[in-house]
Amino acid sequence: MIRIAAVGDVHVDKDVVGRYRPALEQLPGVADALLIAGDLTRHGTVEEARCMAGEFGGLGVPVVVVLGNHDHQSDQQDAVTDVLRDAGLVVLEGEGTVLELNGHTLGIAGAKGFGGGFAGACASKFGEREMKNFVGTTEAIAERLGAALRGLDCDALVALTHYAPVPETLTGEPLEIYPFLGSYLLGQAIDSAPTALALHGHAHHGSERGRTPGGVPVRNVAHPVIKQAYNVYQLLTDEVDAGLVSI
Amino acid sequence: MTPQLDEYVEAEIQRLLAETGSVAEQGITIARREHLIVLGGEVESAQRRDEICRQINQHFPDVEIACDIGIVRAQAPTEVEEIS
Repeated sequence: MIRIAAVGDVHVDKDVVGRYRPALEQLPGVADALLIAGDLTRHGTVEEARCMAGEFGGLGVPVVVVLGNHDHQSDQQDAVTDVLRDAGLVVLEGEGTVLELNGHTLGIAGAKGFGGGFAGACASKFGEREMKNFVGTTEAIAERLGAALRGLDCDALVALTHYAPVPETLTGEPLEIYPFLGSYLLGQAIDSAPTALALHGHAHHGSERGRTPGGVPVRNVAHPVIKQAYNVYQLLTDEVDAGLVSI
Repeated sequence: MTPQLDEYVEAEIQRLLAETGSVAEQGITIARREHLIVLGGEVESAQRRDEICRQINQHFPDVEIACDIGIVRAQAPTEVEEIS
C-alpha cells in the first residue's frame, strides 16, 4: 500500500506561512509522500519560494512538486526551482522520479502543462504565430510528460500537472475558459502509459473527480476544491489502513 | 449616483484582480446585482480578501461591494480515498 497526500494552488506568501504547518506535521503518520500540483506561490518570486520551502520543507516525507502559472508570473521560475530544490523538494518539469515507499516503488512524472482545450472545442496550430506558439507549447510539454511517464519503471505510476488533462474536473468553471485551464493533449500523454492516478490543480471552481478517455482516475486537488490542507489517496492496496477511514 | 454596473466594469474588475500585484487572484467571481456587485470565491488569507475589496474601492469608488469571499480551510484530512 502506498498513500499519497496531494494538494495544489497553495499560493504561499508571507501571509500564509504557518497555516498549513499543523496539518503538514501530521503527514508522516498519514501518507508516504506529498505531491503538490503547482501554483506554489502567488507571483513566483524568490522570496515567496523561500516561504513555500519553509512551510512545505522538512516534513519527514518526500515532497514532489510541479510549478504552476503563478510561479511563472515574475519570470523567475528557474530561481524559484533552485530555492525549492535547495530545501529538499523534488521539482519536476517534463521529467520523472521514483520513490521507494513501504517496499514499493512509486513513479511520478510531472509537468506544469498548459492550455488548449478539449475535444470538440480545442485550439489548433493554425493562423497567427501567437496561436501556433500557444498550441505548440502545450504539444511540447505533453510530449515530454508522456515520454517521462513511459520511461519510469515502478509499481505505481502517478502523473502530476498543474493544468487539467480532462474536462470533467473543470465542472463548475465557466465553459468559456476551459481552453485556458487544460488540454486533451495532457490526457493523451497520461493515457500513453500505465498511469494509476493523475493529479492536477489550477481550476479553483472545478470538481474533484474525473477519468481520462483511457480510464485513468483524475483528481483535481486545487486547495479551494478539496477545502483542506491535502487529500490522501491510497494506491496498491494490500492491507487495511488502521488510522484513516476509507470512503 | 450609483454607476451603471455593466459588462465593461465587470471585465475591468476581473482584470484588476488578476493583474494587480498585491492581489493576483484569478478565481474571484463577480455577480452584478442592481446596485452592487457580489464577490465570491476563496482565498488563502483574510489579508488577501481585504486587499481585494480595498483595490476595488480605490479604483471604482462608486461601486458598492458585497464580499462573500471565504478563506480556504487548511485542516488535516480524516479520510483516505482508495484509488482503483
